[in-house]
Amino acid sequence: MTTWIISDLHLCAQRPAVTQAFLHWLHTEVATTDALYILGDFVEVWVGDDILSDPQHGAEFVPIVQALRALSERDVQLYLMHGNRDFLIGEHFARACGLQLLPDPTLLTFGSTRVLLSHGDALCTDDVAYQQFRAQVRSSQWQQAFLAQPLSARLAFAEQARSQSAENKSKYGMDIMDVNSTAVTTLLREYDYPEVLLHGHTHRPGRHPLTVDGHQCERVVLGDWHDTAVVANINHTSCELQTLTLSNTIPSR
Amino acid sequence: MVKLTTNFGDIIIELNAEKAPITVANFLNYVEKGFYDGVIFHRVIKDFMIQGGGFDTNMKQKATDATIKNEADNGLSNDKYTLAMARTMVPDSASAQFFINVKDNDFLNFTAPTSQGWGYCVFGKVVEGMDIVDKIKAVPTTSRAGHQDVPVEPVIIEKAVVVA
Repeated sequence: MTTWIISDLHLCAQRPAVTQAFLHWLHTEVATTDALYILGDFVEVWVGDDILSDPQHGAEFVPIVQALRALSERDVQLYLMHGNRDFLIGEHFARACGLQLLPDPTLLTFGSTRVLLSHGDALCTDDVAYQQFRAQVRSSQWQQAFLAQPLSARLAFAEQARSQSAENKSKYGMDIMDVNSTAVTTLLREYDYPEVLLHGHTHRPGRHPLTVDGHQCERVVLGDWHDTAVVANINHTSCELQTLTLSNTIPSR
Repeated sequence: MVKLTTNFGDIIIELNAEKAPITVANFLNYVEKGFYDGVIFHRVIKDFMIQGGGFDTNMKQKATDATIKNEADNGLSNDKYTLAMARTMVPDSASAQFFINVKDNDFLNFTAPTSQGWGYCVFGKVVEGMDIVDKIKAVPTTSRAGHQDVPVEPVIIEKAVVVA
């Protein structure tokens, strides 16, 4: 039983090497395992599932959807949690890929280890402007109104959000603060002190042991995919972080 | 053969088109269109290798052509002063970046047609200017633009040309 957990791929046409590496990694590492969990920011931007049927903007996603579909047909369980870039991924995309959407947070159990999964942006409570933006765009009212607009208008909105000046960076979760320790403690308490809290979002991969109300927990942070990627591999006995090389860096061993 | 004129001196490389036809044709294509002119050796590790061919002096990565098939199963070894292609974890992902081994790096050789075993394709060797390679491998390095082992003073390929 092996499970992979990844996040923050930020897949986009502008970074084809990352997509190529991801597809290769799916084929070589994930195809023979049990499950893959993607904890958000799978793609750089998502303005609605109807992009899949747009010949111009949907083409870059075709090989990704096909690769995930092929894995699901080989009985690899696929799960996706929303991040701050792709919270509009919906059931249509999920069905096309053969994956299941997960709520944030989600609690899993591996052997005797409970692992709480989250994207992580909700834990960055110091970033008040971003949390306000998040509350707005995660409301079904906002999403329905947004998705009712034509695709071209939604793409233009996304482009505008991306090219916003630095002052708006945090509002859209582009200049990422770290998690707030009180928010982490509160979440762990709420879920009865799982042994592991696993999240992405901050692009600060690492392992952070902590004690909450006398309980030993560990916060494990995944890394984003750029020159390297930090992913987690979980089985019944361990949770390991692994680094993948995505750039032309020859490993010096 | 190809001459790399660097700010440390000239390095002459003999290419092995017989053993690595795709890789050599790819390298010559970049040489002939001037891609490497003004590009740096951006990763220098004195007991390992010197890597270049992808970044300009501002550590900006240049856009490359399509990636090529890995020919590392051609029997050539990553021996001292050989030239090989850099790539990502994907075996067939080499484009423009290459490296010069500065010691025998057997662990970079092809062992099996698998993700872990493909190795790095050797396609040439330094035939003149080994002393220049030795000078470059010894330069002081630092971290820059998110990369480690970057020479403090840029090591620049001023010109790459095909020579008889």
